[in-house]
Amino acid sequence: MPELSKNAPPPPPESSHPPPRLPNWPLENSPPPPSSKLSGLLNELLYIGISLAGTRPNMAERICRALRDGALEGEHAPALTIKDSIQSPFGSMVFDHVLSQLSSFIVAQKSQSQGIVLVAFSRGPLCYEELFESKGNDVASSNKWIRVLDCCTDPLGWRSKLMESGRIANFTLGTSTTASLYKNVKDLDKLLLAITELGKELVGDGKGRFVVAIDSVSEMLRHTSISSVAGLLSNLRSHDQVSCLFWLLHSDIHETKAIAALEYLSSTQASAVPITRPVNGQRGNSEKLPFLEQNLRGGKIHVRFKRRNGRVRLMSEEFCIEQSGIKFTPISSEAEMIAQSLVPKVQFNLQLSEKERNDRAKVVLPFEHQGKGKTIQIYDGRKSLNEDKPEMQYNSVEKVQTVKDSGRGEIIYFRDSDDEMPDSDEDPDDDLDI
Amino acid sequence: MAGNKPRASSFSRNFSAASNTISQIPGLKHGPNGTMFLSSGIPDLDKILGGGFTLGSLVMVMEDPEAPHHMLLIRNFMAQGLVHKQPLLYASPAKDPRGFLGTLPSPMFSKDEKSRDRDVEQEKGLRIAWQYKKYFGEQNSEFQRDGKSEYCNDFDLRKPLERHFYSGQQIDCISLQDSADLTTFQDRCSSFLSQTSRNDRNITCAGRIAIQSLGAPQCDFSDKECDMLSFIRSLKSTIRSSNAVAVITFPPSLVSPAFSKRLQHLADTLVSVKAIPDEDKELAKLLTGYQDMVGLLSVHKVARINTQVPTILEATTFSMKLQKRRSLILECLNQAPVDGSTGSSYASSSSCSGSSKTGSLDF
Repeated sequence: MPELSKNAPPPPPESSHPPPRLPNWPLENSPPPPSSKLSGLLNELLYIGISLAGTRPNMAERICRALRDGALEGEHAPALTIKDSIQSPFGSMVFDHVLSQLSSFIVAQKSQSQGIVLVAFSRGPLCYEELFESKGNDVASSNKWIRVLDCCTDPLGWRSKLMESGRIANFTLGTSTTASLYKNVKDLDKLLLAITELGKELVGDGKGRFVVAIDSVSEMLRHTSISSVAGLLSNLRSHDQVSCLFWLLHSDIHETKAIAALEYLSSTQASAVPITRPVNGQRGNSEKLPFLEQNLRGGKIHVRFKRRNGRVRLMSEEFCIEQSGIKFTPISSEAEMIAQSLVPKVQFNLQLSEKERNDRAKVVLPFEHQGKGKTIQIYDGRKSLNEDKPEMQYNSVEKVQTVKDSGRGEIIYFRDSDDEMPDSDEDPDDDLDI
Repeated sequence: MAGNKPRASSFSRNFSAASNTISQIPGLKHGPNGTMFLSSGIPDLDKILGGGFTLGSLVMVMEDPEAPHHMLLIRNFMAQGLVHKQPLLYASPAKDPRGFLGTLPSPMFSKDEKSRDRDVEQEKGLRIAWQYKKYFGEQNSEFQRDGKSEYCNDFDLRKPLERHFYSGQQIDCISLQDSADLTTFQDRCSSFLSQTSRNDRNITCAGRIAIQSLGAPQCDFSDKECDMLSFIRSLKSTIRSSNAVAVITFPPSLVSPAFSKRLQHLADTLVSVKAIPDEDKELAKLLTGYQDMVGLLSVHKVARINTQVPTILEATTFSMKLQKRRSLILECLNQAPVDGSTGSSYASSSSCSGSSKTGSLDF
């Protein structure tokens, strides 16, 4: 019996769940004014438009667009965690990809935010300048939309102390106009202040918003505890002017508690995993090499996306590293079934839907027709009666009675077995006529 | 919808005139075994738990890190308290917990919406001469729709709570983020609970405490699990001797398993919420109404005060849906209709006359 679904085919989830007031994570301020809710709704409708047109945005684009659209007012900013491990060490390339996508959105003025504050722990500002040049962004005008907080050159302030005391020669790295040096990574309150000040410099004090990108939270965790890092990230998320944030994490160098805490704080997680090799018999050395090579050049990326209505979307794609950067392609091999733990103890549906209720109202009950001029019939179990019953599920072994959608309806009764005595179906109360 | 019928014993409590005032206090009602209930803010949850949250109990909600459903429970709980003018204490790890008050939902009054018409239909057109009907008279009085204040309101999640509910109310908001340990918070809780203690015979009001995300990573005391446990223990004992209910949510995935188990044992009522995957074809085939579901709620334990008899629920897992996208309803999980002609569906289904064993013997 096909399931009676109200919409066929099931609509894309965006249309059946326009953003209700269920935010990602605790709302801070007053509920969103209708205009920003509407813009969120429009964005989701845009996704529907695109998907109906047949060109589904690929997963990486979707993530970038979700970040670009940023936070609704009064909501925590969306946060992306990019995870990798030694088996698939491409997290920084994914990070660069997201960074360059967002910067192109910002330069084209298509996003909620007007600038990026990049907190660079593992790579210096010069690296990023080269990255932007290679992507074609104009470096000269970059100080309009990006600021780099340089926590890489001198994180603990040792270099400047040594320079002051004259121990080492005074030398300056090629400084860029966009970078400011930060020397006190152990103090995360000051770091928060520095980030927000840079952001305000970029976008002004009013309604402007900025993106925060943290090069490597793993580096931060080297210096401070997970609770202060979590405090910093949640304060950034709840800051009025932060539109979205994303960070990189190397998952195999931290304990599970730290990783769980960071997953708790983020609304999307993208993990780069190696392509698993199929298990088939003997694996000599000669077979291992192609896989190693393959994993050096690419891998898979699994995304868990927490939607506003509380459902979790899981997506996967493959990526490969090329000269120009990283390229995402949909999964080519046979679709993997992501097994989810199913719900226990599901009961049968004992309630009636509207249609079923209407059908039930049309029931001509037994013996109702008697006394209206027709001959009285005693049911003897062999003929099918002209009665109507709604479809109800039983916990018994009787075969299901089907519903016919005619005006009067019919019961089609399948006997349990054909060699039963006809009398055994007779209900002794049948000759009562109450 | 699984309801929990109150155990009808042959003894009934003789309510004297003095305690009749309790039934006139909005938001409280008598429960079995000399307990009193206050509403959770979600009518379906009240029905499942047999009336609501027992006064003097500790309710724990286990969060799912991937879904914000525990916020729905807390929001409804706090909004119900404000509608009934009950003092409220709210604590969260955010820097500014006052802002959360702006997100509380507004109650829907029955003259605006026909929200619960499914129950009314039950008895229409049927007249049954039944001698036990007099024992069920109490239940029907819950659904008073004549403008008097209701025990439990339906909340419209899309509309914020109006300003007049906040004025003149005692609402304390505490941020847990900056405190190094829980002693100050414990003192605040004790002083709050002393207002609603049970020493005097007549209770004037009941109090509500809502603690969100105890053990969230932002708080410094989150690694000190012994401290958190001793705080919860002292809170539980103080609450037991006062007319208040505390709802605490915690993320079990972020704390050690031993601590999580201890918290679960400490709870009087234990509820957990779970996220569901989006666009999962297997689940869509298995469950009806999958399109409307936002999450799952499981009730693991129901408060047992003044009694040794446990409450056994017919169903423990419920789906959370938004009815007309605004009010939260909980429904039993319903299996999608299966094709009966094959017959083998019964062998693979999970329940067989109520039991959950899928053995090789199938009836």
